[in-house]
Amino acid sequence: MNATLTTCPYCGTGCNFYLQSDVNGRLSGVEPAGKHPTSRGQLCIKGWNAHAFVDHPDRLTAPQLRRNGQLQITDWNSALDLLHDKLSGIAAQYGPDSLMFLSSAKVSNEENYLLMKLARAGYGTNNIDHCARLCHSSTVTGLVETLGSGAMTNSLSCFDETGLIFVIGSNTTEQHPLIGSRILNAVQRGARLIVADSRKIRLARHADLHLRQQNGSDVALLNGMMRQILQDGQEDTEFISQRTENFAALRQGVEKFTPEYVAQITGLPPEQIVSAARLFAQARRAMIVYAMGITQHSHGVDNVRAISNLALLTGNLGRPGTGVNPLRGQNNVQGACDMGALPDVYTGYQRVADPAARQKFSTAWGVQLPETPGLMATHAIEAAAAGQVRGMLILGENPMLSEANQGLVRKALERLDFLAVIDIFPTETTDLAELILPAACYAEKDGTFTSTERRVQRGRKALESPGAARPDWQILCALLQRCGLPAEYADPAEIMTETATLTPSYGGISYPRLEGMGLQWPCPDAEHPGTPILHREQFTRGKGRFSPVDYRPSAELPDADYPFLLNTGRTYFHWHTGSMTRRSHLLDREERQAFVEIHPADAKKHRIKERQQVKISSRRGTIAAAAQLTDRVPAGQVFIPFHFAEGAANALTNNALDPESGIPEFKVCAVRIEPC
Amino acid sequence: MLKQLTRSALEHLLQQTAADYRLQVPQRLADGTRQLAPYGSGELSLFGETPQRKPTSAFFPQTEPLLKIDSTGAVQLPAAAEKPLALFGLDAHDLHGIAFIDRFFSAAPADDVYLRQRTNALLIGLTGAAGPDQSFLPLSAGNCDIELIASNDHWLAVAYSETGEQLLEPFPDGDNDRLRALREETSSYRAIRPDSLQKASELLLHDRVPDDFWEAIAARCILCSGCNLACPTCTCFCLQDRQRADGTERSRVWDSCQLDAFMREASGHNPLGSEALRTRRRIHHKLAADPQRWGELGCVACGRCDRACPTGIGIFAVAEEIVKRYEKG
Amino acid sequence: MNRPAAENVTIYAPRPCRLLDVQQLTPQEKLFRLQLADGSDLGHQPGQFVQVSIPGLTEAPISVASSPSRSGYFELGVRRAGRLTAALHQLQPGAPLGIRGPFGRPFQLAALQGRQLLLIAGGCGLAPLRSLIQYCQDHADDYASVQILYGARSPDDLMFKQDLANWQISDSFTCRYTVDNRPASSCYDGETGLITQLLADLRPDPAICCAVVVGPPTMYRPVIAELRRMGLSGARQIMLSLERQMRCGVGKCGHCSIEHLYCCSDGPIFWLEEVEQLRGALG
Repeated sequence: MNATLTTCPYCGTGCNFYLQSDVNGRLSGVEPAGKHPTSRGQLCIKGWNAHAFVDHPDRLTAPQLRRNGQLQITDWNSALDLLHDKLSGIAAQYGPDSLMFLSSAKVSNEENYLLMKLARAGYGTNNIDHCARLCHSSTVTGLVETLGSGAMTNSLSCFDETGLIFVIGSNTTEQHPLIGSRILNAVQRGARLIVADSRKIRLARHADLHLRQQNGSDVALLNGMMRQILQDGQEDTEFISQRTENFAALRQGVEKFTPEYVAQITGLPPEQIVSAARLFAQARRAMIVYAMGITQHSHGVDNVRAISNLALLTGNLGRPGTGVNPLRGQNNVQGACDMGALPDVYTGYQRVADPAARQKFSTAWGVQLPETPGLMATHAIEAAAAGQVRGMLILGENPMLSEANQGLVRKALERLDFLAVIDIFPTETTDLAELILPAACYAEKDGTFTSTERRVQRGRKALESPGAARPDWQILCALLQRCGLPAEYADPAEIMTETATLTPSYGGISYPRLEGMGLQWPCPDAEHPGTPILHREQFTRGKGRFSPVDYRPSAELPDADYPFLLNTGRTYFHWHTGSMTRRSHLLDREERQAFVEIHPADAKKHRIKERQQVKISSRRGTIAAAAQLTDRVPAGQVFIPFHFAEGAANALTNNALDPESGIPEFKVCAVRIEPC
Repeated sequence: MLKQLTRSALEHLLQQTAADYRLQVPQRLADGTRQLAPYGSGELSLFGETPQRKPTSAFFPQTEPLLKIDSTGAVQLPAAAEKPLALFGLDAHDLHGIAFIDRFFSAAPADDVYLRQRTNALLIGLTGAAGPDQSFLPLSAGNCDIELIASNDHWLAVAYSETGEQLLEPFPDGDNDRLRALREETSSYRAIRPDSLQKASELLLHDRVPDDFWEAIAARCILCSGCNLACPTCTCFCLQDRQRADGTERSRVWDSCQLDAFMREASGHNPLGSEALRTRRRIHHKLAADPQRWGELGCVACGRCDRACPTGIGIFAVAEEIVKRYEKG
Repeated sequence: MNRPAAENVTIYAPRPCRLLDVQQLTPQEKLFRLQLADGSDLGHQPGQFVQVSIPGLTEAPISVASSPSRSGYFELGVRRAGRLTAALHQLQPGAPLGIRGPFGRPFQLAALQGRQLLLIAGGCGLAPLRSLIQYCQDHADDYASVQILYGARSPDDLMFKQDLANWQISDSFTCRYTVDNRPASSCYDGETGLITQLLADLRPDPAICCAVVVGPPTMYRPVIAELRRMGLSGARQIMLSLERQMRCGVGKCGHCSIEHLYCCSDGPIFWLEEVEQLRGALG
């Protein structure tokens, strides 16, 4: 009965817990860390069951090579040699930019750093990205422009001292449960709550105001609130004059968004827009919380800009209990971005296009580095489908289920000359791979993860990995060596030491300092205590910049042929493509099959009964799922979680991309429904 | 038998115990959590808050292999542990919790899987000045092998079983008057269970808590299941099969009555089909059903569910709310 | 603490079992005839259930549908509902299976002796009741009279059609059945209507009558109301079989609790007065 303190592998909240092992060294359970500032002795259901998938018999335990359609077990040396030969062969023949590397928000900072180094220094391409492209790429683009930093501005402890929380496009109690609970607790102690979400999520039951705006109409709603605040003279004039720029353009930009005009776009009563604006503006400290409901649109960056504008307008930045608070989905999606697993930046958002930054990394790594930013993950799929990307290494991602428009993804991956996947379980993506490498899971290795509040904290090894599975960092070191780069790291701590020297915001981060409760970046030097709240004295970019935006409709709206709006997302019990949660007994038992939420009135009209299998079709595909009749969705909308391969929501979704961030429009497309 | 132990004698007792048992002792872990952990793996923590993980998990762990079924249908049981367990550092609440589930699992037909861990295990209570900042913890009801009662710089040691007497044999006798005084202090100390639990129990047994109360509490539940998993008297489990090369491994896994599928039948019918019904079940089971079945509350007032609940609806909080709202005059 | 009697066994170990025969009862239900691999009798009493174990899918509680008076085998009538029952429906005779049990409190046979019996089943409730019906058939002299009443949703859903026909012509019984709905296309020419209609014209003697009711949750309240109206209002006059998701069968796992009772070990057979006041007991 040993206990190993580690960081939860699921969402970005950053809870810590103790993995319990039995006398045979097998994991037997989970106990929340009692004094950790995030977990405080508490966890959500996924955290309480985070040990369950680790020793599942489906774990990949040996390198496998596909020959004539059959998977054959091979040894590590042959596998790594083959992988290197294939990648370098394709690079030699078609150029380095015919390769694509997908990193993972599930692996550690150190591993993201190594894969980014491998792509850039080893194979000479900036074609590296990861699933942040699909979740918060809009945030990074929108917040860097307006505030100078793409991360959550405040800390989770701010929920305990705020006066109002405005939750827009975040089902917080289900997707960041331990943040959702802080919101519920804030309401209990008297804080006001505005929820803007077309679905009746749990938080809505506790809200002072629940706005059920039409999916994709957030810009109109936010602009309407800002116009009303200006109309009422409730803006923070002192903050605006001292700390911001471009205010005149904002005032002009929101002028046309009268409550009546906004009502037409959002479907909300005009007076709700006025109420929301007044409630929000009256709070001395207000936090804006958002997630995928804001970012996953073809105008995701505009949504983020509008949120930033609202916070700037009311002076809700740089103080406790305020802030623009994007909730990061994966346990290390913040870290994967920080580590530069992105096509345009090195670690700490140092730009590839900046010659000084390039020179710095080039010197440190001892190789020339490519100059042009690489492909975004979503564009790489398109490029692969077009035959321009020919080789791909995927580390711990399952784009077959997670990317929009599954048909296109399948075409892209099938067309590749070579696909290698490193993962812990077989997935719909490993099914298409020529080479599959077995990885250690979070419980079987050391490393660091960075939570949504920029808290860098330790993951710790609790047991050995099964069979021949290896930690990703060791796999990547072996590849770096095959590329002729030194990679003799004794352990992940040494990798972090190298990262810290190259990354100003991580400059003061080292393993000994992370004992206890970790450190929040920016942490520039070894004495720095970390930064719970960004933009205190000035913004990262100097002044906060208003960036006015106009409303643009979603790319595909319901019509006569496809009369329903399809909204997609996650459920409480499952995680992304289900490779872990569907192998965790209790979580699987709660939700065992694909389902579609449909409003009872719509169900009646289409003669659909509870639990009945129905066929859902979009212009891109058709799936079957069990109907769940609920007024959680408004009439005219259906909701399908994307966890289930046998009813894959992303066979339907639209890969209409935001022009700046490349994020697909997961939250809006048109479908029709028929009984099976 | 009453003995007296100095700090070094206590260490001696633990060493003796560790020779024959898998000894777990309270330790302060990396993040500050106080928890039972293998003796010798860290520094002993002799006073402080109740160890966080429920001690019953030693005998009824979160995941526990039950058996293996091979391809012929033959059943094998997991190998028995080499040594029995010894738990040191249990307060009166935790000893009470273990006694509660001892009775539950021993009720016919006895749960042999539980008894395999529990039989021959040694329980050492730690009471007296062993709370946070050496505050006073009430003495146990004698439901352990040995009780160590912290007092200034030494421990009074009471043996309640033959094994306990053997282990304490070498140590000098303790002061009976001092023990009597401590027992008096215990009886004048707050009751092991706060009044609100008993009062809420009566209100529930008299059906005085309306359904809309449960709806309001349930609206705050985020379905983490922590209340159940942290509770030392929660015994619900489900079965899990994993098919491996050498057969199917069947385990039991802690379950939670707060989950929709807990009672959901294959047909879709669910006797606990709403959040309100499930929330009622959680509280009602401990405060009304258990008294009816076992003659005492199922809550031993350890406080774990109130700490584990992210939204403040653990059993104390709910019981207090019930009393506040529905107790007459 | 006492040690368990034998350290080598566990109450959770399934006993190997052979599938002798499978018979399709309705589109959703099959009858499985089984025998313990060591040839011994199951040792059950009417109304008890077993846990059927399929490696990989854990277990499911299934009532025994045959009487212990028919020895050498036991039968399970199984509706295809979840993963385990779907897998069971795929099995062919000869397939190995695991069985734990029998479990639970059986029908109170002693209390039925000498009485007028009303045996009432709805839907797949006929499967557990069949164990009692067969028992009564084999001990016909023990009862003043036996009347079987059965209701199913549609003609297709009628279980044990051959048995129903035999019971209708049996000297020991009267047997009536009805369906809720008769599709126009059906050649069914029996009675149509809810089961309560079959009860409407009965005139039992309340002093010696005892009713046994097994059915879906929705059936209990209306049937009980009808029985009360006929005068069956005393104690130990109405016996019920309740269904829950029993996981262990021995009162440990908690999945079948009804307030302070465990359906698996305190039941599944209850006298009405034992459960009537318990919240959720009767659906």
